[in-house]
Amino acid sequence: MSSPRPAYVLGGNRIPFARAGGPYAHASNLDMLTAALDGLVARFGLQGEVLGQVSAGAVLKHSRDFNLARQAVLGSPLSPRTPATDVQEACATGVETVVALANKIALGQLESGVAGGADSASDAPIVVGDRLRRALLDANRARTAPRRLAALARIRPKDLSPVAPRTDEPSTGLSMGEHQAITTARWGISRQAQDELALASHRNLAAAWDAGFFDDLVTSYQGLTRDGNLRPDTSLDKLAALPPVFGKRLDAPPTMTAGNSTPLTDGASTVLLGSAEWAAAHDLTPLAAVIDAEVAAVDFVHGEEGLLMAPVYAVPRLLARHGLTLDDFARIEIHEAFAATVLCTLEAWQSDELGRTRLELPGAFGTVPRDRLNVHGSSLAAGHPFAATGGRIVATLAKELHRLKASRASDEPVRGLVSVCAAGGLGIAAILEAA
Amino acid sequence: MSEDVVLATVPALGRLYARSLAATVRRSASRGAGAAPGALPDVCYAVHDVPVDTSRLAAYQALMGLRAADRLPAGFVHTVAFPLHVALMVRDDFPLAPAGLVHVANRVTQHRPLFRGDRLDVRVRAVGLRPHRSGTQLDLVAEVRRAGASDLAWEGVSTYLARGVRLAGTSGPEPVAGDARAAHPVVGERAPHDERPAAPADDRPTWRPPVPTASWRLGADTGRRYAEVSGDRNPVHLSRLTARLFGFRRPIAHGMYTAGRALADVGPAAGHTFVWTAEFTKPLLLPATVAVNVTAQDDGYAYTVWRPGAGHPYLTGEVRPLTADR
Repeated sequence: MSSPRPAYVLGGNRIPFARAGGPYAHASNLDMLTAALDGLVARFGLQGEVLGQVSAGAVLKHSRDFNLARQAVLGSPLSPRTPATDVQEACATGVETVVALANKIALGQLESGVAGGADSASDAPIVVGDRLRRALLDANRARTAPRRLAALARIRPKDLSPVAPRTDEPSTGLSMGEHQAITTARWGISRQAQDELALASHRNLAAAWDAGFFDDLVTSYQGLTRDGNLRPDTSLDKLAALPPVFGKRLDAPPTMTAGNSTPLTDGASTVLLGSAEWAAAHDLTPLAAVIDAEVAAVDFVHGEEGLLMAPVYAVPRLLARHGLTLDDFARIEIHEAFAATVLCTLEAWQSDELGRTRLELPGAFGTVPRDRLNVHGSSLAAGHPFAATGGRIVATLAKELHRLKASRASDEPVRGLVSVCAAGGLGIAAILEAA
Repeated sequence: MSEDVVLATVPALGRLYARSLAATVRRSASRGAGAAPGALPDVCYAVHDVPVDTSRLAAYQALMGLRAADRLPAGFVHTVAFPLHVALMVRDDFPLAPAGLVHVANRVTQHRPLFRGDRLDVRVRAVGLRPHRSGTQLDLVAEVRRAGASDLAWEGVSTYLARGVRLAGTSGPEPVAGDARAAHPVVGERAPHDERPAAPADDRPTWRPPVPTASWRLGADTGRRYAEVSGDRNPVHLSRLTARLFGFRRPIAHGMYTAGRALADVGPAAGHTFVWTAEFTKPLLLPATVAVNVTAQDDGYAYTVWRPGAGHPYLTGEVRPLTADR
């Protein structure tokens, strides 16, 4: 095995993200992932290519999609001899696929790969209840007609109602929004600060679309040419008028609304990765190197930390490994699960006490300069199709870092930080550096 | 020396409930003033070599949100011993009417883990008949060993309250000095259909709810579902109609269901040997969505279950590791 070498982000392609129940209401995860992959192949001229590996996943996943990534490859113009793997790590799925493939490229196990993810909140798998499912399976296993009938006779009318997936944490029964509301109250994040962050997300995303930034990152799909959730004309007044939806049963006044929380979203994204040699052989320009990554998890079950706070721990560990501080990053992408998630993360990093007691630092971890944060908008405006968000962020950041480095005409490293929280108290962080 | 009544099998609860109602009626008729005889029968109910009902175990684990593990949940072992509680309470010489007893507290010590392949020896006796400011309390103590083994594996102390009943020879219900539970309002101190918080006693600070760590959505069928896996088909848990017979406008959750859910929420962090306590301070009317707090406390965990907006918890308790020197 060769020693590690740089692995590069060469580009990306996603479909515009759509609000659940909208234009993609009847598109499956496989439909959307195949569309995103198809657009990537077309953009980079990869028809008939055998890529090293495609790695992708979905969070709300139907059991029939056990080979989602492989089926997407078979439905794309890539060579059918391209291997593919499914990955599932809640909302960290997309970044995890990028990191896993980049590591394989760095180790010389792969020359190229496509990372990605898809999620449909509209076409979510509905299952039958456990009682009906068990009765049907028992009937199926029964060898005699009377036993089959006995198994089926257990079914009661109420067992027939279908079960839709919920966004509740399996361990706690609290929805993600309710978990965040608890953390929001704990850190005292104001309604106005959340609305301002949401407004910035919409304005930044709208400006990026208007400037053509996404022209080589997005391919239109099913008539949608821009992210369907984007509200370019929203305002603080409009956001302030929305009623709170989470945290209504807590002691603190509720602050989280549909405007400063991400909506349920449909979409898919892909990221093209490769070695320098593979990129050169295919006449592709590396945008950014994947330098390193860190995963973390927190104990929210016993109330020790908030559900979505794992990146607060992942990022300091990752930066410590490289002797970096937040000031060393030109761009910082913090996934906007909720506006309050970002603001709680920033507050935690500025907290002297948390730095000392939880991060084992001499004091506060640091401050994120707001003009470097989510400069082209994030999930509040674009929407958040769970497994597709990582690919959106990585491709957007790689392009932005490359653009920034070119504009600076200096050899100073131009670094970007990715931070994504996920269900289950998980979090992932990654460092990119402009090529 | 107490008398041992060894039963061939764990008794069926359905027949015991019928006897329980009969016993209740009989005692009400024979006792005008509400004074109960002052002694408990000096008897121990035992059943030996009981196999674990594995399908009931799987159903219990699924209902509690536990994984289908081979180790027996501490709350499941309670359901194995519970029929002996009832068998003892329906005896003719048992001083209190079984249908009027309210489960107010429970303490389980898991001395060593038990497994689905184990055969169990179960013993239950009644002790500690004592006056309480709201009536009379007693404890049913259950001991579970692996069949043939001498060392205790599981011990449960279930505290029951007979509301408004005073013991023969006492002048009336008195607060019991040193009894921590006397500081808590218990089930039945108020008209049960009045769910408003009782006026706080002078020495009791206003209760402030902790920050929730979990939430339970308890459907109207919660009592029926636990009855199915536990066998505890006390009508007060089953339906509106049957709950009305006991003065509740809606069915109430089984205490040991909520305590079992709380233990499940603490999870594997509880370890394999522990002391698990529960205080059922108010009846929890179904359906309900309740908030739950689990928090690290000293070397173990404390938990609280309450309904947002209510000025009191329904359930509080602790799970503490059993240290070797105890």
